[in-house]
Amino acid sequence: MESLANELKVRIIKTLQLEGVQPEQIDDDAPLFGAGLDLDSIDALELVAMLENSYGIVIKDLEAGRPAFQSIRALASFIQAKRAA
Amino acid sequence: MVACSPVVTGLGIIAATGVGVEATWEAIRAGRSGLKPLTLFPSPRYSRVLAGEAHTDLTALGAPARGSRSDQLGWLAAREAVEAAGIDFVDCSERAGVVLGCSVGGSFNSEHFLSNLVRRGKMRPLPTRFHECVSVVDLIAEEYGLLGPSMAVSTACSSGALAIATAAEMIQSGEADVVLAGGADSLSQMTWAGFHSLLLVDEMGCRPFDATRAGTTMGEGAGVLVLESEEFARRRGAIILARLSGWGASCDAHHATAPHPEGAGAVAAMGAALRRAGLKPSDIHYVNAHGTGTRDNDLAESKALKTVFGELVPPVTSTKRFFGHALAASGAIEAVVCVEALLHQEIPPNLGFSIFDPAVGIEPVTVLRGLSLTHVMSNSFGFGGNNAVLIFSQPDAPVTTRAPQTVQVSIAGVGVVDPGVDTLYEIESPLPSGAVAAHSCGALAGAALLSPNQRRRSSRLVQMALIAARQSCNPDPAQRVAVLMGTGFGCLDEGAKFIENYFSENNPAPMPSRFSGSVHNAAAAQIAIDLGARAMNSAPTAGEISFECALWQGFHQIAADETDIALVGAVDELNKYPLAIGKRWGHWTEQTKPGEGAVVACLIRGGKPESLARVTAVRLGRYHRPFDTEREADWIATSVDLTRVDMVLSGAGGWSALDVHYRAILDALSARAGRSLEHKTYKQTCGEFHAASAFGFSVAVGLVQQGHRGVLLYTLSPRGAKAVCCLESHDSI
Repeated sequence: MESLANELKVRIIKTLQLEGVQPEQIDDDAPLFGAGLDLDSIDALELVAMLENSYGIVIKDLEAGRPAFQSIRALASFIQAKRAA
Repeated sequence: MVACSPVVTGLGIIAATGVGVEATWEAIRAGRSGLKPLTLFPSPRYSRVLAGEAHTDLTALGAPARGSRSDQLGWLAAREAVEAAGIDFVDCSERAGVVLGCSVGGSFNSEHFLSNLVRRGKMRPLPTRFHECVSVVDLIAEEYGLLGPSMAVSTACSSGALAIATAAEMIQSGEADVVLAGGADSLSQMTWAGFHSLLLVDEMGCRPFDATRAGTTMGEGAGVLVLESEEFARRRGAIILARLSGWGASCDAHHATAPHPEGAGAVAAMGAALRRAGLKPSDIHYVNAHGTGTRDNDLAESKALKTVFGELVPPVTSTKRFFGHALAASGAIEAVVCVEALLHQEIPPNLGFSIFDPAVGIEPVTVLRGLSLTHVMSNSFGFGGNNAVLIFSQPDAPVTTRAPQTVQVSIAGVGVVDPGVDTLYEIESPLPSGAVAAHSCGALAGAALLSPNQRRRSSRLVQMALIAARQSCNPDPAQRVAVLMGTGFGCLDEGAKFIENYFSENNPAPMPSRFSGSVHNAAAAQIAIDLGARAMNSAPTAGEISFECALWQGFHQIAADETDIALVGAVDELNKYPLAIGKRWGHWTEQTKPGEGAVVACLIRGGKPESLARVTAVRLGRYHRPFDTEREADWIATSVDLTRVDMVLSGAGGWSALDVHYRAILDALSARAGRSLEHKTYKQTCGEFHAASAFGFSVAVGLVQQGHRGVLLYTLSPRGAKAVCCLESHDSI
């Protein structure tokens, strides 16, 4: 779980080209959208593409995927649950 | 009072429902959707998804083989409209124009080039000749010998409606008697995958306003209207089908792809159209909604409708399930539908609706309904929060459309991202490697002005535009600001990266931010968001005169009192594709080097003495071929007061074939002025690119500042378009 969270941070920084952000600066429980990293809806769609390319997880409805995008921890749990399924 | 509104005398349409107005209306009456599984190109990633595909073989219908699929769609709709209007352009060619909305342009065909290149390593660039959005405009203008103003408007999904609004301004301002107006867009892998990447597609087909709606359906097609001044139509004895009594445009200034959640921009555009027509909301008998079927659009649009119409929202339908969302063509297709609705006194049904959504609170009409219709409204909203609304009325309806004013326009400021760095541009994979000497803007020093999120999210082109806009003005928040940003190729880098990725071997998920950033109006939309500019937002494209088209639109938005400030400019970026293809075709020489850059000028109303210069003329047209120097010099002399001109700034020194014409024009103008006019060029410093004349404009402002009384800027495009504008000092009055 810990390593998946770290891996996600690195991927998110790269995918979203977050200038000057280090993985260790991202709190596992901080909100990704709005406050926190201040990502927007197009970033969310980029994360959808990243999930497919890196983890083979396809999200077709952003609303359904919303709980997974709350935080790094939520996203990591979501991926683990999908892997287990 | 005189109804100062253009009239509609001919219609043409091609879409998923069939070819021609008759077939289309028949499908609408029968409630027959044109959606079916996609066949136009293989799409394993999104198989079984419905599409609004038009006739497959357009050449079999008579369309010219030398053109993109979008060009062919537009050409076919134009042919039908011209035949229906029974118009012969021979005696009015100088006062006949063409304005079409186009956003996909030749992408469908360029994708063949790209997939050959990426997958097979073969360089066959011929299809890219028709890549530009203006290609369809040039094709139609050539077909009918139209020499009046011509441009394409590329504001994504509102393009078609905005093109019709622009054509109306051309007629109202007296610069054209007749304009072929509409829009044309084909399906393409780019937009297909792009809309999927934004999760905006409902695989089962769109269900506008339905509680379970889950997205739109991609479509294609073209709609063309013959718009004329009423006087001209009556003089030639044309049958008047309808009147375009109002039009309005606005910008949400909110988000790159999502609408404003309360539909604020939609409210503003509907209000502007009603005011222009001199109508009250209760005068509208039917609204053809944008109604794409996406969660966000239908919710925001219904809120906007309730804000504008209150408790008494007139019958509303979206016709998107008939056609699919034909992007830049959709506003034009729906304009045709609205005129047909007026003619038949029937409103088309909203297919795909069955479950009422309390959040939307609007129940569209789901069956064909006969109704007494006098005024109908058509909504079109696009990416970048770009909104355009049209109102069509019965020919004899009592309307008093507001006329534009005669105004003075001045330049309050200019921002320039300067292509002053000599660069050896390295062409990269998947193209054959090589280098081209170019004029570059280098590292964008001004990017420090932008926020980290703007730098992260914006392509180089958008960054250049944002920097130039920031430098040009600092608008008072109480003032209305319009943004008109011309571009030839638009955000090529973003589009190329998106499609290269999509075509790459391991079939990756398409990249949503590259897609949303690839639209031609990305620069104009980002400037609007940056400055809170909520008046008209436009991205005209017309090759070398793209800037002058933006200047024209901005000037006339001020004259129409639709804005206080108009930021007008143009932007294009160096990109490996035009550089490599131009290299192969021998375009780049010691004289003609490619360039890039962005210029934005801040136009204000009035002849304010503290401003930099006055804009005393801007006129668009096309030159007769073969080039007739005397005729062209006459055109300039009737557009500009030559007695005030002491400097001619021309686009010479770029495409070498045009230099002979520039020289001949200079001599002819000197002869008319009775003195030798001084001549300067600017392309030796900025290079050759579609937005270069914007750089010329900034040079002209500098020349006026240095004491020149009147500077004439004259621009030709190799594909037949021309533009002239004149800047004068304040003491020349």
